[in-house]
Amino acid sequence: MRRHSAILCIGVLASFVFAAAKPGVAQDKVIKIGGLFAMSGPGSYFGVQDKQGIELAIEQVNKAGINGYRLEVQYEDSACSPLPATQAAKRLLEQYKPQLALGEECSDATLAIMPVMEQAKVPLLNAGSSSIKITDPGNPWTFRIMPNEVMQGVDIASNAYKRLNARTAVLLYENTNAGIGNAKVFADTFKSLGGEILGDIGFGRDVNDFTAIATRIAGLGKVDVIPTYTLEGQGLRITQALAQAGVTKGGGGQSIQLGTIWLPFGFEQKAGKAALGYIRIVQFDPTDKREVVQSFIRSFKAKYNQEPTHINAHAYDQVLVVADVIRRGGKDSQSIRDIMATTKDFSGVTGSVEFDKTNQNVKMDTIHYMETLPDLSWKALGWN
Amino acid sequence: MLTVALQQGINGIVFGSLYVLVALGLTLIYGVLVQINFAHADIVTIGAFAAYFFTFVFGGNYLVSIGIALMVGAALGWVVNAAIFAPLRERGSELLPLIATIGVSILLQNAMLLWFGPIPYAFDSPYSNEVIRLWGGTFITWQNLIIIVVSALTIALLYAFMKFTMMGKALRAVAQDRETAGLMGINPNQLVMLTFVIASALAGMGGAMLGPILVLTPFAGTSVIVKAFAIVIIGGFGNVEGTIIAGLAVGLIESFATQLINPGLTDIVVFTLLLLMLAFRPTGLIAEKREENV
Repeated sequence: MRRHSAILCIGVLASFVFAAAKPGVAQDKVIKIGGLFAMSGPGSYFGVQDKQGIELAIEQVNKAGINGYRLEVQYEDSACSPLPATQAAKRLLEQYKPQLALGEECSDATLAIMPVMEQAKVPLLNAGSSSIKITDPGNPWTFRIMPNEVMQGVDIASNAYKRLNARTAVLLYENTNAGIGNAKVFADTFKSLGGEILGDIGFGRDVNDFTAIATRIAGLGKVDVIPTYTLEGQGLRITQALAQAGVTKGGGGQSIQLGTIWLPFGFEQKAGKAALGYIRIVQFDPTDKREVVQSFIRSFKAKYNQEPTHINAHAYDQVLVVADVIRRGGKDSQSIRDIMATTKDFSGVTGSVEFDKTNQNVKMDTIHYMETLPDLSWKALGWN
Repeated sequence: MLTVALQQGINGIVFGSLYVLVALGLTLIYGVLVQINFAHADIVTIGAFAAYFFTFVFGGNYLVSIGIALMVGAALGWVVNAAIFAPLRERGSELLPLIATIGVSILLQNAMLLWFGPIPYAFDSPYSNEVIRLWGGTFITWQNLIIIVVSALTIALLYAFMKFTMMGKALRAVAQDRETAGLMGINPNQLVMLTFVIASALAGMGGAMLGPILVLTPFAGTSVIVKAFAIVIIGGFGNVEGTIIAGLAVGLIESFATQLINPGLTDIVVFTLLLLMLAFRPTGLIAEKREENV
């Protein structure tokens, strides 16, 4: 009996030694991903949703592994703000030593992280910042799958002028790099087409009461469109204040509010009737029939028992882009960067990805136009 | 143009009323303890969440939820003072309770972040989108009318309490000279507790009415509190009448600054006023009488 036990022990030990010595065991090779997202402060709703999308994608990718690799992620709180974002990036690089990083959502924070990542030669894949400065002039280590402010602004201004026959506009935007940049691109394009900007209204993220702003717009006469660049919370209050002042269609007025890619799915339900007639671009269209979209929605609901938002979707896409790069041979920071730059014909939940020389995704099918109907559902306008 | 001016006047009074409710709590605590309470903003937020959950999760009436938020605020004020601030004050240090208010603020914010999450809540009272059309094209929502009426009643009741009741007079006596008030048979510790309870109740109530206006997240109150601090200073460090005047004035200034210049510059206007006040009238609009103990 004792002899049998000894043989059994030797067998078990030998199997461990053999397994450890065997090259290319799937679970031994890891691609470390750093996640730089806001986990605290007013922008923390980004981080929570990004994390959901990333965790779901990693779970799916790791079931089969990619070329013998599995993905692993560690998050740092970059707080949607330049200083904490820089500190978080340094901490991540020094302690976790990732092969690549994902983030941030807020343009100001992303711009602060970029030089840190460039110095460390670690690629940064961004999915939620719109400032043109991120890819113009471009940084070899930063990639963006989201359409930038120029792509969004030119497109929305052209559609406002040509499809909605808008001739007058009032700009409403938060005083951040992204807010100011988006509004400027809209204004330049709209004016070049022959439109007139009646009001240019910027405000801080601490503004709560938008009735005074809505009153000012109501006093400006006939306003055809009101492009609005804010995060969800302020966006809700602006939409409601404009309706209360009788400016927009939701309040019996004529103006059409134009929204950005920043607002999540479900915004209409929160804003209520005030959102009637609101036209906005979204990064994720849950009515899209492509299997990758419907499969994502099914998996997301199964895991979290809730509807996914565009933030969940673009975070999910970030991991899928990384998985695609690993599949094509990426194994360290340099090769991941080089292979990511050659990405073409990638089809994700939010749309296609193909990077240009500045590492900006040039595909416009990530911009989906939606109009809010009286029952607060979406109507896809199919403008792209 | 007259319509726009009248409308901005209405907008200013509405927001000014809310500022007054929040700032009155701060001014009461400052008046009695000469202490700034950084956790006041978070009690405003908790009041807003209390009203939200009472209305939308438990199906309660929004008007009743204002009373619920008041009670939640009062209870929280009592607990925080009894458990944290009072023991620290007994050690005789003025700095410890001040630092503790910052600690309590961070604790409450993170607890709310854990419980309620970071995603903005859509807190619309049944009166938020019901508009009353007034003269000359001006309007007011029922929600804003409720804010003005409830704030005016609360301010009147507080004023009457402070001026005409024995307890109110005792409270003012403690504010003027705590030691002498103690020698007159007044229990200062009880009145300090009462001050915290009243101030926090006002904050909770203010939160319930601010909830449908501001962006409801665990950090909602922070955006209002900076203005409230400015109002306390402009009004006259602990003076109730001064705080009421300053609160309404700041609300009106913000509205007209939004109309005439740019909303991004309203803070500059308000804080320039604050600096001018500190430079030329450091006692504030109405100077609070306070005995100096030598």
